[in-house]
Amino acid sequence: MAEHEAEKILQIEDLHTYYGRSHIIQGLSMDVNRLEAVSILGRNGVGKTTTLRSILGLTPPRKGKIRINGEDTTRWPPHKVVRKGIGYVPAERHIFPGISVEENLKLAAKPSGEEEAWSMEKVYSHFPVLKTRNRQDGSTLSGGEQQMLAIGRALMGNPVIMLLDEPSQGLAPLLVYEVIQPILLFCLQSGLTLLLVEQNHRMALKVASRHYLMGIKGKVAQTATSDQLMADQDIIKQHLAV
Amino acid sequence: MSFTAIAVDIILNSLVLGGVLLIVAIGLNIIYGLSRVMNLAHGSLYALGAYAGFTLVASGLNYFAALLVAPLLIAVVGLIIERVIIVPVRKRSIVYTLILTYGLMFFLDGLIKYFWGNEPRFIELPQFMRQTLPIAGTHYPVFRLVTLLTTAVAMIGLMLFLGKTKLGIILRAASSIPEMVSCMGINMTFVHAGAFALGCVLAGIAGVISGPLYTIDPIMGHEMLISSFVVIVIGGLGSLRGAVLAAFLIGLVQTLAEFFVTDLAMVIVYMMMALILAFMPRGLLGEGRFE
Repeated sequence: MAEHEAEKILQIEDLHTYYGRSHIIQGLSMDVNRLEAVSILGRNGVGKTTTLRSILGLTPPRKGKIRINGEDTTRWPPHKVVRKGIGYVPAERHIFPGISVEENLKLAAKPSGEEEAWSMEKVYSHFPVLKTRNRQDGSTLSGGEQQMLAIGRALMGNPVIMLLDEPSQGLAPLLVYEVIQPILLFCLQSGLTLLLVEQNHRMALKVASRHYLMGIKGKVAQTATSDQLMADQDIIKQHLAV
Repeated sequence: MSFTAIAVDIILNSLVLGGVLLIVAIGLNIIYGLSRVMNLAHGSLYALGAYAGFTLVASGLNYFAALLVAPLLIAVVGLIIERVIIVPVRKRSIVYTLILTYGLMFFLDGLIKYFWGNEPRFIELPQFMRQTLPIAGTHYPVFRLVTLLTTAVAMIGLMLFLGKTKLGIILRAASSIPEMVSCMGINMTFVHAGAFALGCVLAGIAGVISGPLYTIDPIMGHEMLISSFVVIVIGGLGSLRGAVLAAFLIGLVQTLAEFFVTDLAMVIVYMMMALILAFMPRGLLGEGRFE
């Protein structure tokens, strides 16, 4: 059993999460395998962000189970969940105001002995623009630069899985395809697992191989591979088109 | 006395007053900025710092050693307070901590009366601090200059701590986006406790340096609490720069008012607060964060 379970880095079973009295996620089940990139696609307000917040323990679920690396982390406090090896890139990016780019990165640093490990230099080599702005207040960066910093900061913790909440939101398409998408593909090749929440299916299709199409109340309406989605545009129209 | 002598006297006095106000207010502000706890017992912790300083010096410790030890004792008291009465109601509305710390204020005041009695106490100062120094025609007490110096050292130390150390950066980050700090694997329980302890260290320092300035009595913390409220409200809740500005503004206005119309001094300070809030409801620098 252990071997089979260990393949699954994240398992969610029958998750129910509330905001106050509103029952946002009603029975979500999904899983993410090691070295895989998975996306959750869905319209605004279906509970994609809440799913990530439930995993992280920011909005603890009332019912259901979350396992990370086979260990039950349901209702753990966020700092403990994150230490299991999660890098989080929130939709708001959450770059600390009044704190320089370099300090933002330093705060997140969790050095690892491995040769391929992420360090300040490695982040700067992928995002040279951050190096040129290393002394600047992180919250004064442009949207794209903030997104790079948010991704770089998550990588500084040398995670095993990254949770990304709409990394392409509000960014120019050029930036998405020339900066954000390449770094995600690079992460994937270098052994990271990705869980991507998106409304922009174009990037999600290129990065992730498996997709959960989420309908209202956090219910998975359908799962599909990228090939299936590309072959059948109707699925996308049904779940994502406005 | 010449005009310059009076001017120098007023300027130095307002800096001394502003400095003490600032240290107390910034402690209160750090705790509020990080934990959204308005610690109504902060003035009593300041008084406790003064008494701790008094007892340490009375039992033979050097004044400056007491200035280091007393704030640490207050920090320990603060950590206990945080664990016992703040942590259990952390997730509830601010009203809970308001009521609990209000009760704590009376508890601490009672404790002070029980151990030290009602009569005023004075901290025995080293010989050189009891001298005066001739500055621009006025003879200024050395202990007041030492107070001023201590304030400056404490503020510079605080700025370096918040600006340069990893712990300081964590505190600043947590004052703006606590959730993201916990998403970086940092336990916010320790951040809250650390902020409370830091606030108490500052209250303790202010207590010891106020000892020689004012008399030490069980209710010395009440006026200080109100004054530091005025400072952080005028400066902008949670804003450290605003507090610096407001503390010295109040220091100056109060000192001037005391010089010209002694009895109305505080009335004038509160009128200034009302005026500032009427035009700038969020304080001089707005509700802010640590910088």
